[in-house]
Amino acid sequence: MRIAMNWRDRHLWIVIGCGLATGILGVLLAYWGNPENSGICVSCFVENSAGALGLHGNERMQYLRPELVGFLLGSLVSAALFREFRSRGGSAPLPRLFAGILLIVGSAVFIGCPIKLVLRLSAGDLSALAGAVGLVAGVWIGLKGLAVGVSLGRTSAERGGSGLLLPLFFLLLLGFVLAPPVFLLVSERGSATRHAPWLLALGAGLGLGALAQRSRFCITGGVRDGFLLGRRAPLLWGLIAFIFAAVGLSLALGRFHLGLHGQPGAHVEALWSFLGMALVGWLSALIGGCPFRQLIKAGEGDADAGIVVVGMFLGGGLVQTWGIAATAAGVPLAGKVAVLAGLLLVTAATLTFRDRRA
Amino acid sequence: MLFAGLFVVLLTEWPRPAVAVAQGGERALERELQNQARTTLLQRLYGPVEDLRQQGKMANALLKLDELERTYPGEAHGLMLKGEILAGMGALEPAAASFAAGVRRNGDYIDAKFPLSRRAAVSRLVADGLPVIIEGTRRNPESRDLGLALKNLRYLQSRLAGGCE
Repeated sequence: MRIAMNWRDRHLWIVIGCGLATGILGVLLAYWGNPENSGICVSCFVENSAGALGLHGNERMQYLRPELVGFLLGSLVSAALFREFRSRGGSAPLPRLFAGILLIVGSAVFIGCPIKLVLRLSAGDLSALAGAVGLVAGVWIGLKGLAVGVSLGRTSAERGGSGLLLPLFFLLLLGFVLAPPVFLLVSERGSATRHAPWLLALGAGLGLGALAQRSRFCITGGVRDGFLLGRRAPLLWGLIAFIFAAVGLSLALGRFHLGLHGQPGAHVEALWSFLGMALVGWLSALIGGCPFRQLIKAGEGDADAGIVVVGMFLGGGLVQTWGIAATAAGVPLAGKVAVLAGLLLVTAATLTFRDRRA
Repeated sequence: MLFAGLFVVLLTEWPRPAVAVAQGGERALERELQNQARTTLLQRLYGPVEDLRQQGKMANALLKLDELERTYPGEAHGLMLKGEILAGMGALEPAAASFAAGVRRNGDYIDAKFPLSRRAAVSRLVADGLPVIIEGTRRNPESRDLGLALKNLRYLQSRLAGGCE
């Protein structure tokens, strides 16, 4: 029996609204000053912010991105307003920490998180196609794992307010954005010098964070639900709205350049783009959301997502310090080794976290 | 009481705004000094090459660059100058190789705001050279040299396009 889509569902329209807002702001933030095709890129923002906090020494990648702070705090405000803030956690913290590191490794090898993948494609960057296929394949593999009982364990309510720790840390980062302390590093050259005015960036981050909290918007979640529910999945419609808005605005602003070569912040090593994003997709399916969704969940008091975010910051430092991050010149050997090691680790985790009673 | 006491201690220890500003300013000054010193040193070291290039003595300029290369191997500024000279001589493929190597070593040379920026020269080479090399590879698809030149030019094209890296 086929169940028809309920177009009167309010949640569906919130998801579509969030998708449209992500597409519009993703293009506009680049128009306002962020690097090309990087209006919103959680992994790039994390690498930049990790650099600003002194976690790596790449002088071209040091800037505390207000959008990143806004995503989490917007989610916090929304969760508090709608009484959805619940401190919870306790599920496999160390594997989640490593998952956060590997999310950034996979993204750095592809050059971008799943949101940037969509933005790159929407701007005509055909070199991102291999990454898109990899992301979908990764989510599919992750789903197959979940179906046979792979699980990191159930998240449970926690006493002591551990879910508040990351929002508090991000409030501190907000303080750093508003009144930069002397130890905060700021690039004077390179891509980190390219940024939208901070108030616009912060506002966009806060708004999008709040919308994403209400809608549960997530790129890999959209792919996952597309596999599970087909056209009835609201998140899939959110993803479609995101692509629609981003393509439309890119065309309107003359930022659409169809081609495989010469694209900004991109390489043409298709195999490694595929594997990098497959790693991100697989992990995201296992831990319940893409890097952006982890930030949003952390804002809602999810300490499990919080530990993933901490891992992402560590990853942001490591990919720069260890020379893992890819550039337009291609993927360095360290990046290839790191992605393969990541895929091996996720395979091992899939085997060891399988509940055979399922 | 204990926390209130600690708070008072913190307040007395907290660096006053003027001190903090001075520290920040000092760091910015140090960075500026470092950048200026590097720029001045490079201009002094590679000045004779520039002079020879402006006098039209391209072969001599390349010889002088080779001499400097022995003392400062792989220095990005030398590679960028070599690219400029070779491009001026119409040697597309080696010019692309030299520019690409220089930008890989130091991406600042692509930034328009960098005092030693070679963005204009690289843009010219990409705009003029890419159609020629694409046509060459179409006619001679097995040429490894042309393939390498195409790869270098596309790398430079991507760097000129910007992006986050």
